[in-house]
Amino acid sequence: MNKNEKSGAVARGCRIGKLGFSLVGSYLGYQAQNLLLGEEEKPQRRVRFQQQASRRVREELGVLKGPAMKLGQMLSMQTGILSEEALQELAQLQMHAPGMHASLTRAQFKSALGKYPEQMFREFDPEAFAAASLGQVHRAVTKTGDQVAVKIQYPAIRSAIENDFNLLRSATLPTRLTGHVPAALLEEIRRGLLEETDYVREADNLEFFRNGLSGLDYLTIPRVHRGLSTDRVLTMSYVEGESLGNFLKRKPSRALRDLLGARLLEMHRTQLYRLNALHADHHPGNYLFQPDGHIGLVDFGCVKRLSFNISELDTCQCRRSWRESEAAARHFLALAYGSRAPYSRARKMLPLLERMSDIFYPQSDSADIVIDYRDPKSYAKFREISRQHQKLVLQNKLINPEFAFLIRANVGLGHLLHELGATVNISELRRRVSAAPAVGQNESDESRAGKIQRTTVFPA
Amino acid sequence: MKKKAGRAPAEKGRGKRVENKEKTKRAILRAALELFAEKGFYHTTTKAISRKAGIAEGTLFNYFQTKEDLALYFFEQELDEIITWYERDRRIKRAALAEKLFAIIHRFLERLAPYEEFIGAVYLRALAPTSKLSPWSLQTQERNLRYLRFIRGILAEAEAAGELPPVGDFGAYAFGLFHLAIITHWLRDRSRGKEQTLALLDRCLKLAAHVSKKGGWAW
Repeated sequence: MNKNEKSGAVARGCRIGKLGFSLVGSYLGYQAQNLLLGEEEKPQRRVRFQQQASRRVREELGVLKGPAMKLGQMLSMQTGILSEEALQELAQLQMHAPGMHASLTRAQFKSALGKYPEQMFREFDPEAFAAASLGQVHRAVTKTGDQVAVKIQYPAIRSAIENDFNLLRSATLPTRLTGHVPAALLEEIRRGLLEETDYVREADNLEFFRNGLSGLDYLTIPRVHRGLSTDRVLTMSYVEGESLGNFLKRKPSRALRDLLGARLLEMHRTQLYRLNALHADHHPGNYLFQPDGHIGLVDFGCVKRLSFNISELDTCQCRRSWRESEAAARHFLALAYGSRAPYSRARKMLPLLERMSDIFYPQSDSADIVIDYRDPKSYAKFREISRQHQKLVLQNKLINPEFAFLIRANVGLGHLLHELGATVNISELRRRVSAAPAVGQNESDESRAGKIQRTTVFPA
Repeated sequence: MKKKAGRAPAEKGRGKRVENKEKTKRAILRAALELFAEKGFYHTTTKAISRKAGIAEGTLFNYFQTKEDLALYFFEQELDEIITWYERDRRIKRAALAEKLFAIIHRFLERLAPYEEFIGAVYLRALAPTSKLSPWSLQTQERNLRYLRFIRGILAEAEAAGELPPVGDFGAYAFGLFHLAIITHWLRDRSRGKEQTLALLDRCLKLAAHVSKKGGWAW
């Protein structure tokens, strides 16, 4: 744990304030540098600037842990000012609640469920086996003999987050005024965080994804024990498997790693394109790997439900729809940067989007995109164009809050695949996952209303 | 042999009398607590208590002259219970200091929970300097000292184990005040399952542990 870590509202307030200023400083510095520097000087300056900013943001965010950490994480991922390494490290930062000792765990369990754990389970391990976002997880055996994992939330975390958020709102006022941090982004993060504190919602999410992804037979998602759960305690079936680090120690074969890589991407894509929702927390600890290629996916606290159809965005990019008419261009840009983004500014993105589509969605079908995630060179061109895109987004103040969780998830997944060292044929994956019936607009309306039945539309 | 045999029944008899007396006292307390929970501290008459406990009202006054005496006895019983529990619970005796202290206060609160209204009333009374329940009244001193000795013992163990810098008797006093503050917060806490109090208790104890580790007492 960090030596500089301070607890208490005052110390945290100071830190949040400081971070607010340093983020503003970074952006202003970056903007000024873009104005003043000649093209040939930029690369060296950029490297130096990135190193400075990476260090500052990483240090600050590592200590903060609360909503400010989340905001910093999302911002730095959307703005392309950090180095790849720093980004991957950031993607792994998680909200941490203070640890709970056995007596507090017991007390909090009773506060939530009205009885002590030993009254409700046949066995209950007072020592946590894993840290979860905002709480910790204990192993237990139910009275009917089922092995379960019991996630218990730190007491009164919701009001703590609300307090932190009010501080954060004041600290980011300058950036909101300049328009670099849209208020909608803050709201999006607030929504995401508060949702994470509601375990009833997480139980709904678990069931939603369990149904929706039941077609992927290699995937295990825990089953919820509703009778042993409330909004602050979540009891789920125990999922076997090892964390990526431990799994890799056994030196799994190349073929197995490639298989797992393809499966991770298939899971990701299936969620986005068929469920219009995404398990947005690609923390390595949330994936449990088994030697036979099965994958367990846990912790559905941070879930993003898209308010638009992402396959439509895909289709537009494949077709280069913006070339067709101004109306089509407006439609596409509203999808990509949010309906509030002014067309005059969003239009400036089009030349870059052309180049981006040529790389991500090449028009000739001959060459499949195959990425070796072990080798950064293999995806350097994707990374470079994304970075340019993010930079331009920041310059034109086009940050789309819709994508905040998506980008974080992508960076996290990229890191996971890199660690795994898998090689995946992306084109083949795209053909396979989009071969299923596309999601109609009406259905996605329903999903917006949070209806779970929508999953029945898809073949198992 | 003879002497021993002669003395035993007398001692037995006295022991039994004390035991009976204690039994009646507890029966009265139980009856009173039930009535307090039902009607509230102020609306419970001594008549109702004695009827419920199955004794004459005059007998009741032999045991407790006022309702305040009853409240004093209640807290004494609770303190006994906590000390016995602490001595017997092997897990908690091995736990870190912050957890021990957490568990002690939490157990108090758990036991007080059914009588929240009664405790609230006692608190109000205790504010009056002339009340027997006031922490400065002579009647409460004996219990306070027992409590302070109990806490001091726990702190001294932690000091000996190097877990805590020497805090002396002051540490026990400070903890006692903290304990009172937490009960006040708990009485006012309207969060679900009183989780705000849990968080406050845990955070304060962790902060104190953190400060004391950094030699925060060395002023």
